[in-house]
Amino acid sequence: MAKHHVRRSGLTMPVNNPRFLNAVWTRGCDFVNLDLEDSVPESQKPHARTLVKLAIPTAAKGGAEVFVRINHDYVEADLEAVIWPGLSRVNYPKAETAEEIRQLDVIITRLERERGIRPGTVEIGANIETARGVANGYEIASASPRIKDFGGGTGYDMSRDLGVEMFVNFDQFVYGKGELELQTRALGLPVHRAAPFIANTTGSVSDADRAFLAAQASRKCGFREGGGLHPNVIEPQNRGFTPTEDEVIDAKWVFERYRGLQRSGQLFEEVDGRVIDIYEVRRAEELIEWAELCAERNADKAEAVARTKVAEPR
Amino acid sequence: MVPMTVQRFVNDAWRHGADAITLDLEDGVPQRQKNAARTGTKEAIPQVSCGGAEVFVRVNKPYLYADIDAAVWPDLTGIMLPKVESATEVSEASSLLDGLERQRGIEIGSLQLIVLLESALGVWNIRDIITASPRVTQVGLGESDLCQNLGITATEEDDPLVYARGRVVIEGIAADIQPIGMVFPVSLTPRLQPQNELLQLATMARNLGFKGAICPHPSWIGPVNAAFSPTPEQVTYYTRVREVFAEGVARGTAAVPLDGKMIDVPVDEWAKAVLHLAVLCKTRDEAKQRALQQAGSAPA
Repeated sequence: MAKHHVRRSGLTMPVNNPRFLNAVWTRGCDFVNLDLEDSVPESQKPHARTLVKLAIPTAAKGGAEVFVRINHDYVEADLEAVIWPGLSRVNYPKAETAEEIRQLDVIITRLERERGIRPGTVEIGANIETARGVANGYEIASASPRIKDFGGGTGYDMSRDLGVEMFVNFDQFVYGKGELELQTRALGLPVHRAAPFIANTTGSVSDADRAFLAAQASRKCGFREGGGLHPNVIEPQNRGFTPTEDEVIDAKWVFERYRGLQRSGQLFEEVDGRVIDIYEVRRAEELIEWAELCAERNADKAEAVARTKVAEPR
Repeated sequence: MVPMTVQRFVNDAWRHGADAITLDLEDGVPQRQKNAARTGTKEAIPQVSCGGAEVFVRVNKPYLYADIDAAVWPDLTGIMLPKVESATEVSEASSLLDGLERQRGIEIGSLQLIVLLESALGVWNIRDIITASPRVTQVGLGESDLCQNLGITATEEDDPLVYARGRVVIEGIAADIQPIGMVFPVSLTPRLQPQNELLQLATMARNLGFKGAICPHPSWIGPVNAAFSPTPEQVTYYTRVREVFAEGVARGTAAVPLDGKMIDVPVDEWAKAVLHLAVLCKTRDEAKQRALQQAGSAPA
């Protein structure tokens, strides 16, 4: 069983901005999403491609996983430039059909083989950003074992495809998100970023308070992945997606109570109006496990940062 | 939507600036008046179109052949099919139109279909239904029949049709067919409301992905047209977005800050789409204006 990924926070940034790239390892994010798509102007794309191979280890210096977002229309050229050791995932925007994913899989498989990467290392993130993508979601998510999580159905591209304004005070994406979540759960995959609705009527991408509320609400709905466009949202996302100490203490208490029940052959008990049963203990176990994974991830990142500081003293 | 039985409504329909007028032979017409209503369609079509509106006729599912036969005349834009549950119903209507277009000298394939889904089965089969014929251009819900079919007695507070409405938008846009509709609760129980409230509700409908709405009363038309067209403020703002983004690209960056927001390719493309829609709406308004001016003195 593969280790569960901890991807609470991530920064999507243009790969051709050296200032962003050189600082990204100090930001504390769980992953970095190097962008070749929307934040890179058309004229810069060929140059940006040449930067990816070296950018991967640079972005990973703080222990973050490294992803690359490629262009929907330049799959071959982009994949040739990005499938290198150290890459965890290719994000493929505006996915609309299963066939597109199968083609990606074929090219990635070949490049992994040619470049000495363990087969199956590189995940495919199928980004659903159009109505057609939602409509074909189940087939898309089933198209390759490289798809390890799924979901979406929000964002600027989605709003454009639907012809709706992006920043309104109600959830204009509720159906698409729900439909994708059901498809994902039906396939037994984790849901990638199906955030519950928290209004952003200003359009700000750097609002730390909102990022924390959204992360916390997402976690309570069973989602674990974050990501954003501004360094301000990283810490609040890490915090919002990580269980609090009180929650962990409470979960351990539930776990112990349930062990006591099992010893005495009971199925459930009521303590101060609260029912302790198999459902509660499963929730508690999951929370404890997730908290441990988060702690491990934090330690890994801290170690990587320390290593880098020793290797590159200022 | 104009019931064929009220002559006064039919006579006045052209004056209100609607983009389309649907002459109703179905639920707005009592059973014993169906024949008379049908007979009146041929004359009513040119009458209601003189303000530049497209004309549709809503037919009865049980009387599909007779109603379509009575409705297909020059100046008709298409047929509104209610209570659709399967692709077969669309194919059936489409093949009737094939024959009548040929017989009556109308361009083959030109008549459109607006599909209304009014049952769980219809909502479930939406993809097959709307792709059953290239004539289908718009799709919407018949919300009160749908509630009946689902056994729902709706209260004002909770929208029971979130899923159905979302499905119409997603499947419609995925198939390149325009979803039409309004927001709850006026979508289910239409009523007269102050113009500013209607404008606000129709704007929400646009931001759910709908491209237009069926108006139960002439007072809806102004606010609905306004809500589904880009506002002058939006035109000004998105023109600026495009300028700022173009300057950024010229400098070698495709992520440009503007008033605390980040302008990148999708924002620029959205701006382009809004500005394009604004041009289309303006062209449509001008065409209606010209038709109204010409007709101003003509009909009684």
